[in-house]
Amino acid sequence: MDVFLQTIVSGILKGGLYALIGIGMTLIMGVMGIINLAHGQLMMLAMYVTFVLNTMGVDPYFSLFVAMPLLFLLGVAIQKFLLNPLIKADTILPENQVLMTVGIGMALTEIVRFTFSSDYKYITTTYSNQTFFLGNISFSMALTIAFGIAIAFTVAMFFFLIKTDLGRSIRATAQDKDAATLMGVNTGRITVITFGLGSGLVAAAGCLLAPVYYIFPDLGGPFTAKAFIITILGGLGSTVGAIFGGVTLGLAESMGATYFGMEYEDIIGLTIFVLVLLFLPGGFKRLTKI
Amino acid sequence: MRAYPKGLLAVAVLLLAVVLCGGALAAEGIKVGVLLPLTGAQAKFGEIEKRSFEMAAEELNAKGGVNGKKIELLFEDDTGKPDVGRSGVEKLISREQVSVITGGYSSSVTAAAAPVAQQFKVPFVICTGSADDITEKGYDYIFRVNPAASEYPQSVESFLKEVAKDVKTVALLYENSSFGQSSSKSFEEDAKRLGLKIVVKEGYQAGAIDFKPILTKVKAANPDMIYMVSYVMDASLLMRQSKELRINPKMFVGGGAGFTLPEFAKSAGDASDGVFSATLWIETLPFPGAKEYFNKFQKKYGSETEYHGAEAYAAMYVVADALKRAKSITPKDVRDALVKTDMKTAFGPVKFISYGKKTQQNKLDTYLVQWQKGELEAVWPKGVATKKYIYPTPPWDKRK
Repeated sequence: MDVFLQTIVSGILKGGLYALIGIGMTLIMGVMGIINLAHGQLMMLAMYVTFVLNTMGVDPYFSLFVAMPLLFLLGVAIQKFLLNPLIKADTILPENQVLMTVGIGMALTEIVRFTFSSDYKYITTTYSNQTFFLGNISFSMALTIAFGIAIAFTVAMFFFLIKTDLGRSIRATAQDKDAATLMGVNTGRITVITFGLGSGLVAAAGCLLAPVYYIFPDLGGPFTAKAFIITILGGLGSTVGAIFGGVTLGLAESMGATYFGMEYEDIIGLTIFVLVLLFLPGGFKRLTKI
Repeated sequence: MRAYPKGLLAVAVLLLAVVLCGGALAAEGIKVGVLLPLTGAQAKFGEIEKRSFEMAAEELNAKGGVNGKKIELLFEDDTGKPDVGRSGVEKLISREQVSVITGGYSSSVTAAAAPVAQQFKVPFVICTGSADDITEKGYDYIFRVNPAASEYPQSVESFLKEVAKDVKTVALLYENSSFGQSSSKSFEEDAKRLGLKIVVKEGYQAGAIDFKPILTKVKAANPDMIYMVSYVMDASLLMRQSKELRINPKMFVGGGAGFTLPEFAKSAGDASDGVFSATLWIETLPFPGAKEYFNKFQKKYGSETEYHGAEAYAAMYVVADALKRAKSITPKDVRDALVKTDMKTAFGPVKFISYGKKTQQNKLDTYLVQWQKGELEAVWPKGVATKKYIYPTPPWDKRK
């Protein structure tokens, strides 16, 4: 029983972090209709920001307040100067924006490798190794805090999208870009803000992941793939879906690792991905309608 | 009109020949080829070895080189790929005309490059590539300074036989890669021989965030010993999360790879305390020049070295020693001199012998080290111990 409960707990805690990684991508995907294949690389960049700040004595959780605005600005710049110009050129297919994000991801990875070398970096904090116990089940302090912050961000994001003007404009753009434009929404500006928001959210995930993991230039790729799976699971553009998608992926990986073998971790994630595409195209969004 | 360009061509050819000969004459040094991964995923270790080779060559040249001639190292980058390694060796032999090659980092590259050296009959002194079968094929031009992979856990075996006699059950965790799989397989055989029961055997994918699922299983099985084959960062996360889950075996043992690197202890913090690991070398071993090599490397390059570097450093001395004794600098004579090698190096005594299926293989002891308060201490065999081993490892909640 302990094994089962511990598996569930680790799965959900990891899922919280996954959700945060997924939300950023789902936002961008919903509004712009493209996959941001530099998503994991943006997170990697945020982790390096956290690392640099940490060498100056800043706690990883405080570096949230630096990394998020920084990555927001970077996201804005990417959308404004690299992706939007592609839309304006008629000869270029919109799909080429996706290729552009691949290129951005590669450039980010290599710039970081050039600056910091391929060596592994790590952040050790007093709470990195701390745990508390409920009965026989251990909770990692850092992951629990990360889970809490992830949920807080997600809820805030949800209300932002539902209640505020800007949030409504984003949702309108996601639903029908042309109609939104006709209603007076500056969709160009919305896409820029959305990309910034997505980048900022994944930066938060990076800051939260940094104390429990390690940092190296190539870690972006696998996380881009995870974010993609979560987005598909949750449904494009759905915040609530991303939470479900993240937790589902986290749980599935944990359960699979316990009951099948950890070497199959990635296979399990991708199997779910294929199953959802086959039997629930549109993801959990179809069930929740949000 | 037609004769003129021809004449010019002849002059040019002549000039070129003179320049080439001149170049050959000017370089009076002895060329030694070195095959190493200088780019790619293994570049970190290739770099440590390259620097060690360079340091050894500088020392030798400062003392007059080989019978008055300077040693000239020609590095060839194998990029960690077997086919690149093969062509690298070919290039060293046919283009550079080296009479001896050394280096050889990864097993797969070394195994692919060795037959090339054998075919051209140029001696290849391997310093790191450790797959057993490289010296089991009866090649008479292949020599190996480092022990074979299957011998790495020897020290663990003798420790289990003589000290940790109460270890009966083992959990085996390994990286799901060719290195991890082959290491775990050879450990399974050792365990069978020692009468240990393997209660959990789990592979994992390198780079995982959360090892709790498999560690939870390990905890439920409550083994006496946990044996892990992991690279440095997975090793660190495994230990940190073992601490989180309060898994308390009598001993944690790292089967080489990441557990002896300084980064492991630094990133794992106090979770690394008490972890044992098998290793081939540590600077505190009583070999002439071991400590000096370690200190000099650190001073010169400002970074840490470890057993791979010592292997390379020693290999350079072995090659130089053979070149000194060789009747002439031809591959055949160098090979004959290498066979008679019997010297002490910073990596330990070197003598190429045949035993079991192996030929021209150096036989060395392996050692057990343990992290104690952030320092890597040699603890086994007793003769070389710098600190007494801590066994059994105290439970996490009883530690200060």
